[in-house]
Amino acid sequence: MQANQMNDLYIAAKPSSPEIDFRFQDRLLSITGEAYPENAAVFWGEIIGTVRRFLSLDDSRRPITVNVALSYFNSSSTKMLFSLFDALNEKAAQGTAVILNWYHDEDDDTIYEFGQELCEDFTSLSFNDHATQS
Amino acid sequence: MISPVLSSETNRSLHWLIFSQWAGKRDVIFYYEGYFSQTIIAAVADAVKMRIEHVGAASKTQRKLFSSFIEMTQNIIHYSVDAYTRDDSAVFGNEVRHGSVYISTEQGRYHLHCANPVHVDVAAQLRAKLEHLRTLTGDDIKREYKQCLRADTDEDSKGAGLGLLTVARDASEPLEFDFIAIPNSDNALFYLKATI
Repeated sequence: MQANQMNDLYIAAKPSSPEIDFRFQDRLLSITGEAYPENAAVFWGEIIGTVRRFLSLDDSRRPITVNVALSYFNSSSTKMLFSLFDALNEKAAQGTAVILNWYHDEDDDTIYEFGQELCEDFTSLSFNDHATQS
Repeated sequence: MISPVLSSETNRSLHWLIFSQWAGKRDVIFYYEGYFSQTIIAAVADAVKMRIEHVGAASKTQRKLFSSFIEMTQNIIHYSVDAYTRDDSAVFGNEVRHGSVYISTEQGRYHLHCANPVHVDVAAQLRAKLEHLRTLTGDDIKREYKQCLRADTDEDSKGAGLGLLTVARDASEPLEFDFIAIPNSDNALFYLKATI
């Protein structure tokens, strides 16, 4: 299979898991909502697997944009998210621009600080912090 | 703390004993005791959100309370005994556990209390982690949180190490805990209290 044959991934938001809207053809990946699924390893594992598959097939070198607007994620999701951004960072390090737009409430220090952790560790990502007014 | 000499026929009586010892003069703004499933947690979380907002907690406090609530109740699901697994469950599906959680407030502080039975081996692991946490300063906790975040996932694939660090990080005081032996069993009632 080629990257341009991969189906988009869409998972609707549920009370404890976020909306996943991955449009691989448009190279636009969005995550929105709250994340505290019962089993974070299972929920995020499949998503990360799909992204990794896309990234390994993709040789277009065109930029990928990732929009993340999570208002809450539990500790096990935190670890998995780190792993997701690690995969994206690897891709960026290989020469494909990966832009990460990190959205959070302007007074939400926790989400802001996690974004800073990502920024510090994953230096190949183009990181943009977006503080939104509540 | 709770007198370990108190005996009880079932876990339920112990939950009520803990609750009534604390409720006293304090303002209890939420109490739930029963089986915990992911669906119940999500529904209770919603109720907790509304209640916290209603009593006028600052938004930062609301966030910390919600976060600690989720961490503590999901630990009930993952680490408790007396599991009830439905026939149609998948590998980890429909985990259901018994425990209690309540939120009280006193002089502008919020106390989050949680209790659930755990196997004595699990109790020993938890005790070690919690005693270690009590030796750390706020900065130490932040540092360990960052290290734990980047560490390879250990045998604890559901993330309880990071979970306790998350609660400790948001608390305004060291976490308080107790383990009460449950007679005629290999279990202990694990009690955890976080102050925000």
